[in-house]
Amino acid sequence: MPFRFLPDVALADIAFEAESDSVNGLFETCALAIEDIMVDPETLRNTSERTLSVESESLDRLLYDFMTELIVIKDVDSLLFGKVRADVSKDGTSLRAVLAGEPIDRERHRLRNDVKAVTMHLFGIKHEGGYWKTTVVLDI
Amino acid sequence: MPANPAIKQVSEVCWEVPTSYKPGMNVPARIYANKKLLDNMDSGVIEQATNVACLPGIVRYSYAMADAHWGYGFPIGGVAAFDPEKGVISPGGVGFDVNCGMRLIRTNLHYSEVKPRIKELVDLIFNLVPAGVGVKGSQNFAQSQMGDITALGVRWCAENDLAWEDDPEHVEEGGFIKGADISKVSRQAITRGVSQFGTLGSGNHYLEIQVVDPARHFDRELAREFGIVHDDQVMVMIHCGSRGFGHQVCTDYLRTFESGMRKFEIVVRDRDLACLPFSSKEGQDYYSAMVCAANFAFVNRQIIVNKVREAFSRVFHRDAEALDMHLIYDVCHNVAKVETHTYGGKTSKVLVHRKGATRSFGPGHPDVPAPYRKVGQPVIIGGSMETGSYLLIGTQKAMEETFGSTAHGSGRTMSRTAAKRDFRGAELQKKMLDRGIYVKAATMDGLAEEAGLAYKDISEVVETMDRAGISKKVVALRPVGNIKG
Repeated sequence: MPFRFLPDVALADIAFEAESDSVNGLFETCALAIEDIMVDPETLRNTSERTLSVESESLDRLLYDFMTELIVIKDVDSLLFGKVRADVSKDGTSLRAVLAGEPIDRERHRLRNDVKAVTMHLFGIKHEGGYWKTTVVLDI
Repeated sequence: MPANPAIKQVSEVCWEVPTSYKPGMNVPARIYANKKLLDNMDSGVIEQATNVACLPGIVRYSYAMADAHWGYGFPIGGVAAFDPEKGVISPGGVGFDVNCGMRLIRTNLHYSEVKPRIKELVDLIFNLVPAGVGVKGSQNFAQSQMGDITALGVRWCAENDLAWEDDPEHVEEGGFIKGADISKVSRQAITRGVSQFGTLGSGNHYLEIQVVDPARHFDRELAREFGIVHDDQVMVMIHCGSRGFGHQVCTDYLRTFESGMRKFEIVVRDRDLACLPFSSKEGQDYYSAMVCAANFAFVNRQIIVNKVREAFSRVFHRDAEALDMHLIYDVCHNVAKVETHTYGGKTSKVLVHRKGATRSFGPGHPDVPAPYRKVGQPVIIGGSMETGSYLLIGTQKAMEETFGSTAHGSGRTMSRTAAKRDFRGAELQKKMLDRGIYVKAATMDGLAEEAGLAYKDISEVVETMDRAGISKKVVALRPVGNIKG
């Protein structure tokens, strides 16, 4: 479930591309990429569990809304996650995710960038050669 | 960007891309840059400025300022004015961080007094003004107060003992933009924002202790109008915006606009240029929500100023009043506002989008606060944390040429990922300390991303705007202490 940062996209922000051989894997990879931008996962203990349900009108929108939810949870509940399990419905319009992480601890966590929004720039899910792929540009 | 034969030189520092450049351009694009800045400008700026020129109802020109670089839809450093009846409003023309802006406070302290205590001062401010990932502010408000706060901005602060009496008049629009309606803001945005007042955020946001640079004190008479009366006078500059509240407003309305464009059959060259008629219900709803976010940002910066005043008072054992810690000014650089301008021989209202651009109203304008009206509006241009910043002043020429607008900062030339690859935060921190700048950062990664070499040379930007005459240099401010979000 790899993701890689794109240094030549969006000078003021951070972009990454992700791919997986499954839709669930793509969602999980994108979630972990966002968390990785905010905190070094090596410093995070996955002691608290949280479930999340999201509904949307399309698979693209579902991923967008799922990532936005992670940003909202970071701001409202100060929670960061190191483990994600996503279960996307067959029609691609809803998901249930189980997230494991912990509240932000400024002493122990190696914090990185504060992600503030998911942009629509270059965004969209492609299914090519058996892989689900996406490019995500985050507003920092 | 290689020389582009389509670009015509208007003056030494102004270039025009004619409507023949691409089909659908309603107006030409104008780029303010010297030859060096133009040659080094990323090619996205021309494409984006000319895409903006295609939007319905745009008037006169699509502008890119000297600090312009690629942004979502509109370039950062972009200015575009629209006919309020026939034109559009675009969240991409405002930016995610609604009313990201700059605030400048003076003190009557000399650097010689502050230098021995700079570490103590910066460390205390760092503790009082939360910065970094997911921080919450120390000022607790109830969700039920959000309507009043976002309607009245710094005026609300003054009425609730959170601002000095003269603070609101030293903020653009007198401390709040009219037209806010909290019912147009989502529950999610309110929940994100309510605990974030008084927080700096991260990215390129900072709080800086600065000193008037005697070698670049360009206009002492004008500086005196702002209470800058001696060389090595200590100032405080704050750069931040509307935090999660503004970002959520933008996120929410991008969705509304994307579906609305189908309804209004608007076709744009780039998905990030999503726009709707300003006169439509959706356009008006976004405007009302965006104004709430802009006023949120004014309050956010106000709460930070209160903490800065507290810190100075504690460290120097004098009241903030005795330290003359008055606000010089607070400017928005990500906003859309209805303003009255004269162009093409007529005076009318236009909806001016400034995205990474600063209002630069000249002398005598009624929207310039009374204390500054005879000289013009202060313009605050923030540089990278290594290079310093500038105080300029608005001009009549800006009123005539650019809908009273100028640049906002230095503009990035290197991505965050590349900067993190090329620089090390701890090394940069030490290098800056050797140069007399004490830096406290929420994260070392974030510090590396803000290295001076990741930005354009701010002096080139400021010189260009000064030479163009759309803002005039007053004084340069060099950093001596920096808090990086």
